[in-house]
Amino acid sequence: MSSTGTTLKHYFVNHEQQFDAAKLGMWLFLVTEILLFSGMFVAYAVYRSWHPEVFTYASELLDWRLGALNTVVLLASSFTVALSIHFVQKGENDKVVVLLLLTLACAAIFMVVKYIEYEGKFSHGVFPGAGFEPHGIVDGKDYSKYDIPFAPQFFSIYFVMTGIHGIHVLVGMGLFGWLITRVARGHFSPQWYTPVELTGLYWHLVDIIWIFLFPLLYLI
Amino acid sequence: MAQGQHHIIPTRTLAAVFGLLLFLTVVTVITARIDLGVINIPLALAIAGSKAILVAWIFMALKYDNKVNLLVLALGFVFAVVFLALTLADTELRGNIGITEPGTTELTVEPVESE
Repeated sequence: MSSTGTTLKHYFVNHEQQFDAAKLGMWLFLVTEILLFSGMFVAYAVYRSWHPEVFTYASELLDWRLGALNTVVLLASSFTVALSIHFVQKGENDKVVVLLLLTLACAAIFMVVKYIEYEGKFSHGVFPGAGFEPHGIVDGKDYSKYDIPFAPQFFSIYFVMTGIHGIHVLVGMGLFGWLITRVARGHFSPQWYTPVELTGLYWHLVDIIWIFLFPLLYLI
Repeated sequence: MAQGQHHIIPTRTLAAVFGLLLFLTVVTVITARIDLGVINIPLALAIAGSKAILVAWIFMALKYDNKVNLLVLALGFVFAVVFLALTLADTELRGNIGITEPGTTELTVEPVESE
């Protein structure tokens, strides 16, 4: 055990307190994440209340099937993360590696689906901001009919919210890649697995954000 | 045994929560595709909120944790609601010149005589 994490810092009474402090710190960080996203949710609420019919109409251009697929993929990844913590607590690190690899795969699937969605929008002129100029026909939907006032606001909010969420998924992928190498090197044990626990918390929050984004952007 | 005494959530509990989350996802897709009028948006938000609580309560283990973590999350949520409420109080009522009740547009207190 070369890791510093197993050492008790002199300012903690015991390992339990050290673990609780790390977790509390993570929760405080997660609250700042919630507040970051709340700014965008408030923007969504304001624009939606100003132009409800435009939001309902413009959201038809988003494919709810891809959104639902990504929801299932992220829920599955949250499940595998929760399982990985279960098994790291039992010291079954082989299973932890497999479960974290599955989590990483789910995150990658999520990003591929997101890429397909973005690419489909960009190729038909659906850009955030001033470049908004929808054209072409996809699945019987004439994109040029969506070139109406305030539709750009909906798509700007869509791109910014899903974009910043997507960056969080990419960061999560980096963290899981790092964790997998550490589990494989035997850094964690039932006595000390703080990084797995904290990364898990982060990942669940990314999942929760998507749980709200999916109905707000794709369904209603 | 530093962290050995931590509550280990049984795999059956985790699987049940995952199943419930998938079920609620199906429910929200189906109900959103039926036109329920004004109920659509509150219903979608209620289902999303239930899913979020399930994830936070079991997957994030708030149920088993030191409750200070729950307090931190609840405070963050409260401030997000304050943010939303105060912003909407402005944007929803902005420029509403239809409000003419006494006290909003008329002086109800006599101005103080100045020398």
